Amino acid sequence: MIAALRRTPAALMVVTLAVGLAACWSTGTLFGVLAPLGALFLYARGYWLLPLWIGLLIAFAASALVALLYPGAIRDAALSLGAFVAVAACIGLLLWSDPSRSGRWPAAAQRREPGQQDGLGPVSEHSAIHPDDRPAIAQAAAYAFWTGVPQVTSYRLRQPDGSYHWTELRAEPGYGVSVDVDAMVSRPDDRWTVAESLGATVEAVKAAKVIESLHGKAWAFDAMGKFTYVTPAAQVAIDMALEDLNRRLGEREFIDGGEAGWMRGVHPDDVDRAASTLRHCLKTGEPWNIEYRMLRATGQYVWHRISARPTRDDEGRITGWFGTSIDIDVYKKTEAALRAREQHLEQLIDTVPAMIWSMTGAGHPVYLNRRMMEVTGATTETVTAPDGSLTLKKMIHPDFLDLAERTFAKSVMTGVPYAIKYLQRRADGSYRWTETRAEALRDEAGKIIRWYGVSVDIHDLITTQTELHLRKQELTRLVDLVPSFLWRLTPAGAPNFFNRRFIDFLGLDEGNHEQSQTEQYAAALKAALHPDDAGRVWAELHDCLNSGRPFAMRYRLRRHDGVYRWMDGRAEPLLDEDGSIIQWHGLSHDIDDQLRVEDALRESEQSLRQLVETLPALIYCAAPNGDPIYRSEKLREFLGFGLGDKDEDGSTRLAGTLEAIIHPDDLPDVKERYGRSLATGSPYAMKHRLRRADGAFRWVETRTAPMRNVEGEIVQWNGICFEIEDQVRAQEALTLTQERLARAAQAASLAELSASIAHEVNQPLAAVVANSHACQRWLTSDPPNLERAQKTVERIIRDANSAADVVGRVRALFRQTVEARSLCQLDTILYEARDLMSEEATRRRIRIEINVEAGLPPLALDRIQIQQVLVNLIRNGMEAMESAQRGALHIQTMRSGAFVRTEVRDMGEGIGAPDKVFEPFFSTKSNGMGMGLAISRTIVEAHGGRLWAENNEDGGATFLFTLPVEAKADHDR
Amino acid sequence: MIMDRSLSRRPIPLPVQRQAEAKQPLVIIVDDDASVQEALSELMLSAGFEAVSFSSTQALLETDALDWPGCLILDVRMPGSSGLDLQRHLTTTGNPKPIIFLTGHGDIPMTVQAMKAGAVDFLTKPVRDQTLLDAVNAAIGLDAARRAEAAKIKGYVERLQTLTPREREIMHEVTRGRLNKQIAFDLGISEVTVKLHRGNLMRKMEVASIGELIRAWEALPVRMRETNAA
Repeated sequence: MIAALRRTPAALMVVTLAVGLAACWSTGTLFGVLAPLGALFLYARGYWLLPLWIGLLIAFAASALVALLYPGAIRDAALSLGAFVAVAACIGLLLWSDPSRSGRWPAAAQRREPGQQDGLGPVSEHSAIHPDDRPAIAQAAAYAFWTGVPQVTSYRLRQPDGSYHWTELRAEPGYGVSVDVDAMVSRPDDRWTVAESLGATVEAVKAAKVIESLHGKAWAFDAMGKFTYVTPAAQVAIDMALEDLNRRLGEREFIDGGEAGWMRGVHPDDVDRAASTLRHCLKTGEPWNIEYRMLRATGQYVWHRISARPTRDDEGRITGWFGTSIDIDVYKKTEAALRAREQHLEQLIDTVPAMIWSMTGAGHPVYLNRRMMEVTGATTETVTAPDGSLTLKKMIHPDFLDLAERTFAKSVMTGVPYAIKYLQRRADGSYRWTETRAEALRDEAGKIIRWYGVSVDIHDLITTQTELHLRKQELTRLVDLVPSFLWRLTPAGAPNFFNRRFIDFLGLDEGNHEQSQTEQYAAALKAALHPDDAGRVWAELHDCLNSGRPFAMRYRLRRHDGVYRWMDGRAEPLLDEDGSIIQWHGLSHDIDDQLRVEDALRESEQSLRQLVETLPALIYCAAPNGDPIYRSEKLREFLGFGLGDKDEDGSTRLAGTLEAIIHPDDLPDVKERYGRSLATGSPYAMKHRLRRADGAFRWVETRTAPMRNVEGEIVQWNGICFEIEDQVRAQEALTLTQERLARAAQAASLAELSASIAHEVNQPLAAVVANSHACQRWLTSDPPNLERAQKTVERIIRDANSAADVVGRVRALFRQTVEARSLCQLDTILYEARDLMSEEATRRRIRIEINVEAGLPPLALDRIQIQQVLVNLIRNGMEAMESAQRGALHIQTMRSGAFVRTEVRDMGEGIGAPDKVFEPFFSTKSNGMGMGLAISRTIVEAHGGRLWAENNEDGGATFLFTLPVEAKADHDR
Repeated sequence: MIMDRSLSRRPIPLPVQRQAEAKQPLVIIVDDDASVQEALSELMLSAGFEAVSFSSTQALLETDALDWPGCLILDVRMPGSSGLDLQRHLTTTGNPKPIIFLTGHGDIPMTVQAMKAGAVDFLTKPVRDQTLLDAVNAAIGLDAARRAEAAKIKGYVERLQTLTPREREIMHEVTRGRLNKQIAFDLGISEVTVKLHRGNLMRKMEVASIGELIRAWEALPVRMRETNAA
């Protein structure tokens, strides 16, 4: 009835309207009038359906809700509405299953809704299929539905009478067709029975028409192969009429090997086979069954399965042929695709670099892929024990055999997946690490039907892993052994790794598992950081974490024993490819000892610097090329400028500085010597004048020495500059004083000498006199004391001799100086003597004139003694002219034979007795000793010369002395 | 004072055994020249003087020779401290020993300095015997007179110590030329008592007249006079 309704929408409308009115009438409410809405399903198409369904669902839900919430009349109304909605939904459901309407889903076979769990729609239809074919049909339907690949399959469909007929199902997206081929194409048992019966009773065309009624397409040809009938629709489909099909295309008839028109419609690759088999069949009467590609009017070749059967007359002669062609293009292509896929899969399984196998649920091996056989050399036979179960002995290293068998047995018994790593024996007898995994495939009841396993060669992996493990261990040891503290932070700054040393340093207790490692580390770090440093360290760390710049700081960390140690902490971010920070790797170095040393060094350097700065000296340092690189505070103060103040373009700092500070007179010398020192590396020392800040030049002594490194190269020049201005001045004053003193001493020496000699002589003389008096008294006393007088006389003799000795000693004094003589120019001595006396001469207003003959030979002289003689003579002359208070003293030196003669001529009053003046203690002067001339004569005579005096004719006296040119031995000795 | 000093010095080894005899004048010769020392000593001996010679002033100061009465013959120029230095030293220590200078060659400034400082004579070597002996005689005489004066003052001082305070007071008043009754009035005692005291003090001071008492008073060192006045 439903099918009838489906075909007539108008009738359906009427029925539904009637049902709606009946409901309306029965419930007594107006809701019934909504019944025709259900009819809308009849016309609803595509997207209309969904809103309709939703509307109904909402209505039903609302009515159910209302019925639950409100009692009484409202509940009744709601219930009635719900009932109505339910009815409408039922109708909708009924109609909606019509595939022509349900455009939303791809067409599924058999007007059934595919995709359901059982894969075949309504149970009634499902049950119509022969039980043996159900899984295949379900799979095909599901496959077609989910993949969109057309499926052609055959199955047996139960007929109303309970028998099964073969049906071929073709499912494609968009349509599906099911043809009952049982009558014609049957399985070996009953195939062709119908057709044969037909062929035996009716002629071919009739048979063809029967087929046509069944299949919609059929044809017939006579015994000679000429078409006698072709379904008109088929003629259209292949765009060939009977004439076209039968047209002879050559000399011979088809049966004789000629070509017929229909052959044009066959694919060139298939045409020869088709023609030859047909000819064979025509001749023998065997049924013609062939598959070839037929040209459609659309220009495409489509696979067809052609079946033809002969009709025979009563005598058994073939009267004609009838047949049909079934479009098996999709089937054929699917089959090809499947074959290709299967081949591909097989290739895949064989070529996949893994060993794949399977076994039954009981553990009997059934399949080994090629690779497995190749690799292990095993075949299904070798791995199968006599009782059919798996034996592993030949495949597994003895060490693992026990484990493998236990695991295998356990898996087979309990069904847990099998997984094991072991050393697998290979075809060449070697063992390699292999991992084998197997999973069980279960049927619907959960029974294991198959084990599928895969063995993967993990030898390299294991080896690498082992190596990696070793390397990791090594690395860990390294990280722990490295004498620094290594740590790692998350990008957020939480520590997630400390190396062993760090943990030991902090004294972390790792046994504490209540906290996570990160929390432990963070807490420990927080506690260990010195409170004074904590603020800046966290701030810096936070800043670094935010900005991503490397972290570097020094801070104190508390060691486990409570001692704070200085650390040098550094951390750098580890970046991934897009530059975001993955981790921070940090290193802390214990620099406490280093810092102490540095502190000590700094202090030492500080004190040294203070020392240098406070030393009362000017200190500087220069680069190996002489450019100043350091000046002490005192030097900067002295110069009034710093290092860089005299930098000018075009000249080096050295040159600029030197020109600025060195006295111009000293500059060339300083430059030359400093340059030489720089070039040779020899120490430099020099006295020069240095310009002070106020512009005054001060004498300084500069000393510079090179500082060399281990290789002996000059690293730096260190210099010191003493201010020696006062020293120089003092030296100058001293020199002046000494000169003056020497002059005075020389001038005074003879007078002093005289006084000394006088004292020496006077003492014994005084004693002699006193003793003489005493002696006289002793003799004149009454009675005369002769004894004492005698004693006194002895003393007189002794003292008188003593006086004589003094005189002898004086003479000896001037004789014993031959060793002191040296060759010198007399004029030089003369000028020196004049210089000595010049002051006195000026005071006395006396001019000293010297006239020296040129070319005098040098003489062997004691220059001091001769100088004394000259000084003495000059003074005598000046004293002689004292009364005049003016005048000149002429000194003349000339060669005179073997002697050099010197004259000292005064303009005084002359000498009374020129010979007497040379006697000791002769003096014309009131305060004179009378020794000067005597000594002078002694000196001159000691030199082998002569000293005498003459009175000038024009007044005054001349003292003359000669000295031998050839030094000769002292004749007195 | 002089006595005190002599205690610390070693006695001089005199050639003649006359140390025990009371204060014979002693001529002390200081000259660095040994022959001159000998000659002068000989001359002094021949003239009948006691003489002792030293080669330097230091050697002299180590002995008690200076405590003896007599005079000094000093060489001006000597190694170490000179004769003039010794003269200065003696002046500052209050020793009035008369000095005769003897020099090889002296000049006028040297002579003036020595004479101003109280030298008896300044002679040059070689010296005539009579000149030297005259000078020695004069010096010894001067020394004797000084010593006698000193002894007298010492006697006054010793006697003054025996006076009672009242007697000293009255002695002071008397030497000022005040009359007995004035003194009695000032001191609030009777004139008879003043006379009694006056008689006692005259006797104790061993003076026969007021004039002698006044001289004794004047001879007393200033210090003592002032303390008594108070």
